[in-house]
Amino acid sequence: MFKYNVKLAFKSMRRNPIMTGLMVAAIAVGIGVSITTLTVYYLMSGNPIPDKSNELFAITMDSWDPLRPFDDDNPERAPHQVTFHDAERLIAIGKGKRQTAMFESSLIIEPINDGELPYEAGARVTSGDFFPMFNVPFIYGSGWDKAADEAAEPMVVLTKALNERLFGGDDSVGKWLTMQGTRFQVAGVIDAWEPIPRFYDPINGGFREVNDMFIPYSLTRTLELQSTGSDWGWKAEEISSFEQWLNSEAVWIQYIVELDSARDRDEYTSHLDAYVGEQKRLGRFERPLNNNLYNVMEWMEYHEVVATDSKVLVGLSFLFLTVCLLSTIALMLTKFVGKKGETSLRRALGASRKVIFRQQIVEVAVVGFSGGLIGLALAGLGLQGIEYLYDAPAGLVTLDWVMVFAAIAIAVFSGMIAGLYPAWRVCSIPPAAQLKTQ
Amino acid sequence: MGFGPMISALMRNKTGAILVALQIAVTLAIVINSLYIIVQRVEKINRETGMDVNNVIVTYVRGFGEGFDVVDSITNDIDLINSIPGVVAATVANHVPLSGSGSGTGLRTVADETIESVSTGRYRWSEAGLDALGIELSRGRNFFPEEVNYILPASDPPTPPSIIVTQDLANDLFGEEDALGKTVYWGDMEPSKIVGIIDHMHGSWVSWDKLGNVVIQPGKPAYTTNKYIIRVEPGMRDKLMPIIEKKLGESNRQRVVKGVESLEEMAQRSYRRDRGMAIVLSVVISLLIGLTALVIVGLASFHVTQRTKQIGTLRALGARRIDIIRQFMLENWLITTTGAVFGVVLTGLVAYWLEVSFELPRLDWRYLPAGVLTLWVLSSLAAFEPARRAASVPPAVATRSV
Repeated sequence: MFKYNVKLAFKSMRRNPIMTGLMVAAIAVGIGVSITTLTVYYLMSGNPIPDKSNELFAITMDSWDPLRPFDDDNPERAPHQVTFHDAERLIAIGKGKRQTAMFESSLIIEPINDGELPYEAGARVTSGDFFPMFNVPFIYGSGWDKAADEAAEPMVVLTKALNERLFGGDDSVGKWLTMQGTRFQVAGVIDAWEPIPRFYDPINGGFREVNDMFIPYSLTRTLELQSTGSDWGWKAEEISSFEQWLNSEAVWIQYIVELDSARDRDEYTSHLDAYVGEQKRLGRFERPLNNNLYNVMEWMEYHEVVATDSKVLVGLSFLFLTVCLLSTIALMLTKFVGKKGETSLRRALGASRKVIFRQQIVEVAVVGFSGGLIGLALAGLGLQGIEYLYDAPAGLVTLDWVMVFAAIAIAVFSGMIAGLYPAWRVCSIPPAAQLKTQ
Repeated sequence: MGFGPMISALMRNKTGAILVALQIAVTLAIVINSLYIIVQRVEKINRETGMDVNNVIVTYVRGFGEGFDVVDSITNDIDLINSIPGVVAATVANHVPLSGSGSGTGLRTVADETIESVSTGRYRWSEAGLDALGIELSRGRNFFPEEVNYILPASDPPTPPSIIVTQDLANDLFGEEDALGKTVYWGDMEPSKIVGIIDHMHGSWVSWDKLGNVVIQPGKPAYTTNKYIIRVEPGMRDKLMPIIEKKLGESNRQRVVKGVESLEEMAQRSYRRDRGMAIVLSVVISLLIGLTALVIVGLASFHVTQRTKQIGTLRALGARRIDIIRQFMLENWLITTTGAVFGVVLTGLVAYWLEVSFELPRLDWRYLPAGVLTLWVLSSLAAFEPARRAASVPPAVATRSV
């Protein structure tokens, strides 16, 4: 029976190709536009590390100016980065299951062989805990251990792409690189890993590629590593040496802690409170106690990782889809009105209302499905356009199975919604009534 | 012939007519609100920057290895760049305006940290800096060469006595008073004297509401990465970019030339989101207008075909062609106007939603009448061809059976 309905649907579609074409086009364009914007939104708002997002916390502590808040628009907020010396002490206290203090830097890799050019690579200066904390996959070797962190050993972990560039993709564990006049030993090479958003650093950009390499945080002091990320300061301090910079009140370090479970949040906050209490006695942290932990999704929310434009586009494109559906209903209705004669005849020959209704619904589902397929192709094009316009890293904006399924489901479902009223109208045509007139 | 037959024709398919009117209404709401956003973004991108953006080249170099002397390197580089024919002026700078990367600070008119400071972007470059960006000094003077010193990393630069500010910043600091010659105070309460005023220039962060607030200090930043701003003669930019890159690369092997870019490219990158939004919305409304027009034409044509017999009868009874055209056009006008009425309400609702939920600026009301007028014209154009076809139905059709 279903096959018969589908056959009838195609027959009916072919009889009026312009109307059918318009209906399919309307659904296709509606799906194309709304799936494009929805995919971008879905990527931006996605959970980049679902199995751990409730155990990883960014911390903030209010070490800011006693006279005014860090953020005038949100005076309840503490600075979203911490000072170098606070980070260093918190790492040493180490109350979490794992913790990392980090910032972005860049170093020049001196040529390994004659004839090669020096290359400036972006680096994330972080603790060895970074890799297990964020489930970073490795192809070769591993991260460095606590001992390396404590001894400030010059170790480096490369991304797959940088390893490709420097060592042709071979297992480079144990090999040496010269950067900043220091010889670094390769500890490991990570596999392709591009969390979207780049949750561990929304401050310097939630949609950038992962830094080229990773080096121990403890090297900051010895190698005088400069941050290429953002820093904020409030205090007029004399800074005429790197040491003074490290001891200043400028906030430029991001601090993330992993706890055993979300339940340990309060306990960790009280550790922070104790630390700040100690510092208060030393005359720092003059603002009211304001220590906060933000889990991954809260941290994304805090930094408004999902662009407002993206939300506006989703809203407008769903209005667009409404227009497409209204078109489809109008077209469908017009078409069914034109089929009065045929329907009357079928009713007179014994087809029940149910049979007629079902047949109409199958027809709109077929229209919806075809529109959905074409719409998906359009969304693919649309996403390529977005990738180009926003200069997103290649392959960042792609359709996944969820979106493909959503597209088809929305298309078929909305096609059927659009077809309900026309189908009902058709069913109410009395048998044979139409046959009399002509 | 009056409204009678028209109304009755519409009433026979009132659901269809209402649906088309609704479609027009939603279309109007999307198009007007989107257009408003597009216009705002385009205006933002095309603001006057106060700089000769098209003729400026920016390059970053970074030294490495033992014995690298950053001051020597900068001195030689600037000399080398200035020796290239076609170069107008060059400076080393802490940051590049419009680039998205910058430095900000707060200034006060009195040395009292309890009063609020005025936020501003902050640059540091040599006496050639203004010329290197094509910025015009409207009053006062430029830096003297003797005021310009090398600033080494992690050394507290001496707070310079002379600064140049933009008129926007001067207004924020001193209001109506003339700022030239006045003293301002930095965060550490060190004073500086305003020696020059720039009518207008943009800072680094194009979406910042204080983009026009800029303070310039004299100095040659000798940091890890040296940023050079170079202005060339009109038309020479694209030719000189590879030459500069090559010469800099060859002159000192202890350095990485991190690329040569035009200021225009950098500015475009800073406005990427705004341009992206404007383009995406333009595509969306083009598709929408196209679709709605096609559907109106399609439905009108279908109705003409359906009503061939009725039209023939009317013609046989004495209706002229113009009467038929008028009837179809009026029918269309009635639907469009109903749609426009709903549309204006819906446009307001969408505008309110955008304003309240996303803090977008309030819709300019003049877009509404303009939108409705355009809608009338477009829908009349869309309906004309089917109406003309209807009018060409010969009266004899009435006598045939369909």
